[in-house]
Amino acid sequence: MAAQFLSGQGFREVYNLKGGIKAWQGAKAFGPVELNLDMIQGDESPLEIISLAYGMEEALRRFYVFFKDRASDEELRNLFTTLASVEERHKESLRKLYLGLPGSSPEPQAWEEKTQAEVLEGGFRFADFIRENEPLLKSPAQVLETALMLETQALDLYLRFAAKMEDRDAKKVLFRLGDEEKAHLAVLGRLLDGTLVRK
Amino acid sequence: MRWKQLFTPVQSIEPDEAREFMARHPEGTYTLLDVRQPGEYEQEHLPGAKLVPLPNLADSLKELDPQKPIVVY
Repeated sequence: MAAQFLSGQGFREVYNLKGGIKAWQGAKAFGPVELNLDMIQGDESPLEIISLAYGMEEALRRFYVFFKDRASDEELRNLFTTLASVEERHKESLRKLYLGLPGSSPEPQAWEEKTQAEVLEGGFRFADFIRENEPLLKSPAQVLETALMLETQALDLYLRFAAKMEDRDAKKVLFRLGDEEKAHLAVLGRLLDGTLVRK
Repeated sequence: MRWKQLFTPVQSIEPDEAREFMARHPEGTYTLLDVRQPGEYEQEHLPGAKLVPLPNLADSLKELDPQKPIVVY
């Protein structure tokens, strides 16, 4: 068994997950190892990585705002507002991370504007993304499950990016982003539990 | 010493314990390892899991840090 083997090879702390992935209650990611890895070369600087993440979070925020504006139901509207504001806070963390990096501008507005312009350029993908996910957004529980799925994919992507990155500082940034994303997922999980309890 | 290999401790942990462990440890300080096949990984995997199918494990040891805790499934 793999765990025994690793232990025998000198791995000092080995844990075997009882029941494997089937027993796992939490969020799961999907897709091959290479999924969206072509978004990076592997030689990006920490600054470039933060810009990429900022762009992705902004796109997700716009996605939530788009559906908020179209929601007929007040509960749904409030939910989308909450999700968009969580993204705003995510972006705030990224802004702080950005400011802490060598080479960053003390006035991040220009950087933010440039990143947001790039998100708009990816517009056609955004429209597809909306179309694909729209049928899944009819009830609060569905919305939260979709958000959970998207955020889990984002977490997995940051960590697969980290594995591909050569620069240790860039790796560290991605690990930080992963930790943020995990906290984010915990918030969504609690929101989802709240929704299921109410129904 | 070969006899040590018979008694090397592997802890079997419940999913809840694993989740708690991963929440307590920042990313980069531990390894999450998936030893299944690529098709299974593609269908679903734990976020951030590194894929090393079991038949490749012995040859892939240098990709793994033995000093870091490792959670295997």
